[in-house]
Amino acid sequence: MWDNRCKIAISGVGYSKVSRSADIPLAAHALAAVKDAVADSGLEMSDIDGLATYPELPATGHAEVDGISIVSVNCMMAMLKLPSLTWHIQVGTTNIGGAVQQAVNALLAGVCKYAVVWRAMHNPKGTYQNLPGAQAQGAAQFTAPYGFGGPGQGMAVAYTRWLERNNQTRDKMATLAVTQRKHTQHNPHAYFYGTPLTREDYFASRMVAYPFCLFDCDIPVQGAVAIVLTTADRAKDLKPKPAYIAGYGQRLHFETAGRIGSLSSYMEGGSSSAKLTWERSGFSPKDVDVAQIYDGFSASVIYGLESYGFCKEGEALDFIQDGRIELDGELPLNTFGGSLGTGRIHGLWHIIEGALQASGRAGSRQVKGANVSFVGASAPIVTGTTFIFVGDPY
Amino acid sequence: MSDWSKVTRPIPVPNEWTKPFWDAAKRNSLELQRCQSCGHFQHPPYATCVQCMGIDLKFEAVRGAGTIYAYTIMYHTGDKRFASVVPYASIVVELDDAPGALLAGNLLESNYTEAKVGRRVEVIFEKLNDDITLPQFRLAV
Repeated sequence: MWDNRCKIAISGVGYSKVSRSADIPLAAHALAAVKDAVADSGLEMSDIDGLATYPELPATGHAEVDGISIVSVNCMMAMLKLPSLTWHIQVGTTNIGGAVQQAVNALLAGVCKYAVVWRAMHNPKGTYQNLPGAQAQGAAQFTAPYGFGGPGQGMAVAYTRWLERNNQTRDKMATLAVTQRKHTQHNPHAYFYGTPLTREDYFASRMVAYPFCLFDCDIPVQGAVAIVLTTADRAKDLKPKPAYIAGYGQRLHFETAGRIGSLSSYMEGGSSSAKLTWERSGFSPKDVDVAQIYDGFSASVIYGLESYGFCKEGEALDFIQDGRIELDGELPLNTFGGSLGTGRIHGLWHIIEGALQASGRAGSRQVKGANVSFVGASAPIVTGTTFIFVGDPY
Repeated sequence: MSDWSKVTRPIPVPNEWTKPFWDAAKRNSLELQRCQSCGHFQHPPYATCVQCMGIDLKFEAVRGAGTIYAYTIMYHTGDKRFASVVPYASIVVELDDAPGALLAGNLLESNYTEAKVGRRVEVIFEKLNDDITLPQFRLAV
């Protein structure tokens, strides 16, 4: 087991308004989320001395403009002007989970006391994947000429392979979309709060990139979420009950740029990250009370459930049936609604929910008696990270 | 069957790693990068052999016979260049001669509903202009 388990905690979470379009600059969303997280912790902004983010824009073909389409550390510091900043980072080889892990490391090293991590996501006006180029450069020269234009297709090819090799059909995925939307109705911050989804809606929805229909894809939104992390001894003095980080992992499998469709890459990415997390925390999948698994596209949940070890390969679509992922089920899953419910904010919201469930702060969607809380914070191969939070340190 | 005549495909821009692939395609030949140390074929081309770290890489001809490894049927018209041809099959092919080297393509000369994992395909060549010819696939006869 990891010597540093339960030495760092999440002690504050925050949200901006999540809107479909970019009515106000993204920097304003990020600032609102950070202020909300600091207020939730009971700290003053002047206490914050560490900043970390992953300032990436997944919408291809749009310019990265700081404050408008991304919010960098530079942009955040220009707004906050923290008097006692001692540490900051932006990550690249992982998604936002890597920024959280870097903040954990910085706190363990003692180079800051209270770190804030945010993820701000922009929804550009017009077409989300803006692909007007007459030429296909770099890795895209082997994919774009064939109409592989966006991440949906890259995920969809692995999904057809999974379905047909396992003699499964996409119909069973309706359970995931409908159950997560049901969970969303307990999360007032989510984009689809107040908008239920039925199985009939799922089957009637338009196809996007087979096997993905509209409700297999998270909706692009404009918004931000943020967390405050600190050491366990400091967390005890803060307002919220801490969610202790029992272990974490990163995907250790890398794929050559432009190579698409490899289902085994997702599986190897996920299992490498989870193995570290299980070993460091001392837990195994059967110990987990509640799980958040990244669902930017629904099939990511399949790869997650199987590669993290919650079920065998080929069984995930059967695993999610029969109430197993309901709030009172055997493995309550994406209890905040997932990205399919909140809108596309990437994995920091999964981390927030993992922390809230571990510390008993999830309100009407709280899983009773939850202590061991698992998070798979992004698609396993792309930039995957995994975490375990607990409410009771050990 | 999908009518590709109104589609303006993005034109690949060869670079120093990929030029031999496109030069071969122009001659209606399929050549993939092969490690001269361990014999591993890889695609897309890369700076080193991803199997043994070898740096002596050459392009060698492979047969165009393979199977559909995975596929998707595109319905979304966000990419306007392809809007006229939806729904269409974008496929990923694993060649018999190069296990693990995955080539993207479209399933041509068949209805998109014919795309299935494991189905046998063969390479054909689609000339885009005087410089670039795309390797493509159709169901094996």
